[in-house]
Amino acid sequence: MRGLCFSLLAAAVALAAAPRAAAQKTLLVITADQTDYVLAAGGAVAAMMAQGATGYLIRVTNDEKDSWDLAPEETARRARMESEEAARILGFREVISLGYRAGELGGVSPTELRDRLMFYIRLHRPEVLFIPNPYAHYVEVLDRFYAGQAAEEARRAAALENFQPPFAIAGLKPHLVPELYYYAQPVDPRRREPEGPATFVPQPKVVDITPMIERKLRAAKALRTANYSLAMRIRQRLEETGRRLPLLETVNEAAVEKLVEINVRKLGEIGAQGTRFKYAEEFHYAGPEYRIPKSYRD
Amino acid sequence: MAHGLRLVAACLVGFVAPAAGPLPLLDPPPGKTFLAVLPHHDDHTHEYGFGGLIARLIDEGYRGYYVRVTNDEKDGSAGWGENDLVNERETQEAVRALGIEEVISLNWRNDHMDSIPHHDLRAQLILLLRRYRPDVVLSYDPWGHYDRNPDHRKVSRALADALALSGFANVHPEHLAAGWKLHRVPFVFYAQRFDYGKGHEPNVAVALTEKQVARKARAYWLHRNVRVHPESARALRAALDARGLRVPELEGLSDEEATIRIQEWRMYWISARHGRENGVPFAEVFYFVGEWDHLPGLKDYLRENVRPK
Repeated sequence: MRGLCFSLLAAAVALAAAPRAAAQKTLLVITADQTDYVLAAGGAVAAMMAQGATGYLIRVTNDEKDSWDLAPEETARRARMESEEAARILGFREVISLGYRAGELGGVSPTELRDRLMFYIRLHRPEVLFIPNPYAHYVEVLDRFYAGQAAEEARRAAALENFQPPFAIAGLKPHLVPELYYYAQPVDPRRREPEGPATFVPQPKVVDITPMIERKLRAAKALRTANYSLAMRIRQRLEETGRRLPLLETVNEAAVEKLVEINVRKLGEIGAQGTRFKYAEEFHYAGPEYRIPKSYRD
Repeated sequence: MAHGLRLVAACLVGFVAPAAGPLPLLDPPPGKTFLAVLPHHDDHTHEYGFGGLIARLIDEGYRGYYVRVTNDEKDGSAGWGENDLVNERETQEAVRALGIEEVISLNWRNDHMDSIPHHDLRAQLILLLRRYRPDVVLSYDPWGHYDRNPDHRKVSRALADALALSGFANVHPEHLAAGWKLHRVPFVFYAQRFDYGKGHEPNVAVALTEKQVARKARAYWLHRNVRVHPESARALRAALDARGLRVPELEGLSDEEATIRIQEWRMYWISARHGRENGVPFAEVFYFVGEWDHLPGLKDYLRENVRPK
């Protein structure tokens, strides 16, 4: 185990010493579902790709549950098209859909999912990885937790040659991703509390997304099936309890888009709280110096 | 009583994490039905929760159901089959003391929960959520840390998944074919032991009356199979005798009665402590998830703009 740790450390030191310019970077975003990364990290990833980074998106599930009055198959078909449209707006080169059934990741082998994600890490060899934060509390959609755990393990395993020897035989050599962003929508009340020293614990980080807010908004609006589902679900709850929301008296495209805009802008404002930014996103960040003790860095 | 409270408090020092300051007092949310979904027969009433809240919900007009997920065969010294029978019977009696009318026993094998498929349990819970349509659900905190009891982890995580999915038509559509309707639970109270790390941190306090605490205390010791062991009072009195000490409140009581009295003090003491920390005589504290908390970007807008019909 000590040797394994040393291998990781040596690779990390090498990567920290030779950072690549943003324009040359490759970015890999892993998302459990179509909406989560757009709402939690869409601005930050759009900014990186706007600066020239090449982006790949891995959608772990097929989003088949998130619709209103549509069968799972039709929901999944629309979700794929719409998530590809959203990804194009944000600047991704490619969307990789793994096709797991939404809501069912709790029954998927964590090792299988880890290895599939590891495959793509070794294939695309990103410098930056965005993953769902499995440590964020009170995240309602547990697919995000399972995908986040598998993604975190995949990052580690991708760097170690003894994981999946056939990958290396097929030419997919070990690769350590130097920059790691954990993302989550802001439901955890303690999300900004540092949990430990920076050397070994990813630290809270706020990224200004003000220049990218309109692009993020357009991407979020492109997820029409999920957005309509959200609007109808809110209206259903209100109707069941004898209430109404003037905006959703008639649930049409304009009303749904307005709801999305309110959501995206407010999420940006929440992320910017305590900063000088207008809109921002919050992450836990492990950069090139993560897990390198200061004495080694010096 | 005060002496007894101090005695129990002394026994429990270090068992409860220090208070971080007053929490907002929360009145029970609007509604008429609650479901307590917990792994074991006695999880409804502990130092860390539920018994007082259940009593208050009932007093405010709620109808309650207790979903006991396991068969509790390991809990007690009577052997598997007998424990199952006795614990089930005592559950009925204890929850009736709180005002719950029905116990739904799912009968999964106690302490073998890690081996059952997550989706099987989740499917049962989704069906129950759609059948009973609760406005409030009570359970262990699925995000709590260091809970060594695997049943707690398994049940709370399956419930969290069920809560997220029960409102979606593409989840178990067979339920809809049988006539059940979609249902999203708007309010959830989570609790966990306070000495299990930082994962669970309450965000609300619920004030209780003394009568509600009395029902909570009774519900606690009605689980006689696991909580009323006369030898504990006998040992305590012997230890005090050896030091020339006595507890006046316990004199004249049998060992069984003394044990029950001590167990009641535990409930009064913890309820009074949470009350004192939050500015009321008695309270319980929870992590509360509100109607729109899953939509952090929309909840302020919805609170400000939703109107009565």
